[in-house]
Amino acid sequence: MTHPTGISSRTNRSINLRDLLFLIADPNAYLCTIVHSILRGFGATKVTEARECTHALQALSDQKIDILICDALLPPYGGLKLTQAVRRNTKTENRTVPILVMAGDSRATTIENARDAGANMVIAKPISPAQLYDRLLWIAFNPRQFVDTPNYFGPDRRFKIEGYPNGVGRRKGDTAVEIGEATGPSLSQSDIDHLLNSARAG
Amino acid sequence: MVNNGKVEARLFFVDTEFQKKARRPGGAPRDVALTRAQAGIDEIQVDFEAWLDLELGELIELIQKPKSAAGRDTVWLEMVEIRCRHLRDVGTTMGFPLLTFVADNLREIFERLAAGAVYRGHLIDCHVQALKLAMQEQYRNCRPEQLPELSDGLRHVAQFATVVKAEQEQG
Repeated sequence: MTHPTGISSRTNRSINLRDLLFLIADPNAYLCTIVHSILRGFGATKVTEARECTHALQALSDQKIDILICDALLPPYGGLKLTQAVRRNTKTENRTVPILVMAGDSRATTIENARDAGANMVIAKPISPAQLYDRLLWIAFNPRQFVDTPNYFGPDRRFKIEGYPNGVGRRKGDTAVEIGEATGPSLSQSDIDHLLNSARAG
Repeated sequence: MVNNGKVEARLFFVDTEFQKKARRPGGAPRDVALTRAQAGIDEIQVDFEAWLDLELGELIELIQKPKSAAGRDTVWLEMVEIRCRHLRDVGTTMGFPLLTFVADNLREIFERLAAGAVYRGHLIDCHVQALKLAMQEQYRNCRPEQLPELSDGLRHVAQFATVVKAEQEQG
């Protein structure tokens, strides 16, 4: 099944974030400030913030959010529970909102759990502008079909990354551009992408 | 839809507002966007350093508080771990990669304390000294691999928190 727009992922592209409403959900106010600054640099004009799950859910029920960037450990329930709650709520127009999970603990289980909760992508903290830009670009130009089953609602987990839009990726022919930095013993950003990229049965 | 006892998945495409609008022409090229984003980070650098002083001061104050019952006080452990995460999560982005490394190492020690490792103040104290070092101008831009004596030493110390627990279990 190909996307109706027939979008190609291999050409040089840019993203226009003007008038898109971002929701950054993270308990660390300063991290929100940093992400906010980065997004403004990318051209975003509308950014709102939440410090915990309940505030994020409130924001999601009050207004149309165009993209959610949330911490995996967002108190009190965690960003993955928040992701599940958004995906399972049949009454909200935000049910299919792109969700980018920020994880300081980027162990394989965290990434798999984020994917299974319905996240579109995972980004390792501390984030870099390049990492964030490439993932936003990826989400914009590579829409994945949604899957609706009694046990799961979210982006198809059986997807393949055919290279990031500007040629940054894991494949042999991809341009060797550093897209992120590993943090401690956790997975590197490219390993995270590889995990999300893995074909998954069921 | 049920087929031979199996529920079939409904598959559909959603072209979200984000996707539709982000693909509009008029966005800055990647290199320009990244340069502007970095300029945005640079703009808040002074403010960040003030926040960092405050955050580190509060972490050190917290660490020094409960020497006696430390390691079994779950509220205290949660508070210090959160502070470490805050420092770790922003350090590298703001040009303090060593700070991220030390804070993450210290966070691991607290995680191990929460899991039952014995509290050893000197393990934590040497990380506090390393955090102070990571704030100094000549070290703030250093990556852990540029200071192998320090980073290897701290990794070793962090592992010792687990060794202590194993010895205790054997006893």
